[in-house]
Amino acid sequence: MIHFDNVTKVYANQNRPALDHVSVDVDKGEFVFLVGPSGSGKSTFLRLVLKEERPNSGAIHVAGKDLARLSNFKVPHLRRRIGCVFQDFRLLPNKNVYENVAFALEVIGKPRRFIRKVVPEVIELVGLEGKAHRMPDELSGGEQQRVAMARAFVNRPMILLADEPTGNIDPATSIGIMKVLDRINRTGTTVLMATHDAAIVDSMRKRVVELEDGKIVRDQSRGVYGQAY
Amino acid sequence: MRANFIFSEVWIGLRRNLTMTIAVIVTVAVGMALLGIGLMINSQVSSLTTFWTDKVELSVFLCKKDDVFPACKNKPPLNADQKAQLKQTIQVMPQVERVDYEDQAQAYKNFQAQQSNNVLLSVIQPDDLPESFRVKLRNPDNADALADQLTGRAGISRIVNQRKLLESYFGFLPKLRNMALGVAILMVFAATLLIGNTVRLSAYNRRRETGIMRLVGASNIYIQLPFVMEGVIAGLIGGVFAAVLLIVTKILLFEGIQSYMAVPLGWNTVAGVITFTMAVGVVICVLASFITLRRYLRV
Repeated sequence: MIHFDNVTKVYANQNRPALDHVSVDVDKGEFVFLVGPSGSGKSTFLRLVLKEERPNSGAIHVAGKDLARLSNFKVPHLRRRIGCVFQDFRLLPNKNVYENVAFALEVIGKPRRFIRKVVPEVIELVGLEGKAHRMPDELSGGEQQRVAMARAFVNRPMILLADEPTGNIDPATSIGIMKVLDRINRTGTTVLMATHDAAIVDSMRKRVVELEDGKIVRDQSRGVYGQAY
Repeated sequence: MRANFIFSEVWIGLRRNLTMTIAVIVTVAVGMALLGIGLMINSQVSSLTTFWTDKVELSVFLCKKDDVFPACKNKPPLNADQKAQLKQTIQVMPQVERVDYEDQAQAYKNFQAQQSNNVLLSVIQPDDLPESFRVKLRNPDNADALADQLTGRAGISRIVNQRKLLESYFGFLPKLRNMALGVAILMVFAATLLIGNTVRLSAYNRRRETGIMRLVGASNIYIQLPFVMEGVIAGLIGGVFAAVLLIVTKILLFEGIQSYMAVPLGWNTVAGVITFTMAVGVVICVLASFITLRRYLRV
């Protein structure tokens, strides 16, 4: 589903590569934690999957497409098959829960009938039933992240990228977030989650890929956060 | 593509940037109005030129008794035979279409009709005015050559090319046109920059929305269209104001000087000019929006 072959990314004006000859294979339906300290290249990895950045060398395949050969014109179609969740939620403050989720479908031109059917289903899946008409500032951090997850998942993407989704949320609430991610993973969606949160990684017992200074130092199925140290 | 989604985005964008939107509308309106006025003067100049070209004549004035013109000094005026001969000479020239003789009585009548200065009217007698041949040319461009040929012949005091007289009357029109067009170009330039700035502000105000749109895979056109539409709508409103200004100009200015112009400026021309300026306004807005979006809205 995601295939990195010897990928190197150096940002302009920086000597040290953000990713240094990284090769990784993520299969369909896998749940993968991407761990490592700040600046180890986790976010760069996610941005490369979305084709927000281009690698300096190496090949990236996502959902069967060679990103180097994917024209800019088709990048939006790639992104429709990838959902994204961030540490800072990125909700629209002037739209309620339902509208925030529906926005993702409106802007890719889905018919209104389809939106009316799917959005409540997804809101229920993330555990926000009955809160469809709340505004983001009336929700707790955990609830806001659930809205963000609903928005990422509403178009049934093949891949869900989560960049420190529990970074702004207390540990107790984080468990709920992880349950939702697990539920999404069980529908067959590949989940790739970058995180610092050792407790969560240890409790989930999923595949762990650890980056350090842009290199993969560990790739372990059913791993824990700090085993390499 | 969902039209009401795009339009609600456009409406929000225009309202958030109200002052900039007004600036764009005013600049486009003034710029397009000046462009239109320039074009209207231009059409007036060319229709006047064709109108007068058909009418201009070469006036060949003859010496009268005791004439003070240097060419006539100490020479007796032509007698009837000589006049007939001169007329014949001019008549057979290849460039000449027709020659008419204007005697002193006729000249005095014309003078009375054209002159409103009472002092002059009371002083000038028919005898003071020269007789003349009014020469109609096949091609008015040859007037100068013909005048050169005739100058110096006995009995001719002075040759006047009427076109030169007209040009000194209407010469200000092309100048006015150039000024209007020059200012119009400046205004169009200012409008382009203003639209660029408005789109930039708009893109900044909505960076959250556009960021999410990018992430969930909205196509470029879906992301950019609201911004371009903002430009188009501001341009169109500006164009409507310009049209009103042009219609007012036509009624107040062009109809006011109609009596001097001989060829009225038709509503057809005005409609054509309005359509053209509106199209120019909208095209400029679209181009300015697109160019700015390329820079400030990474897709």
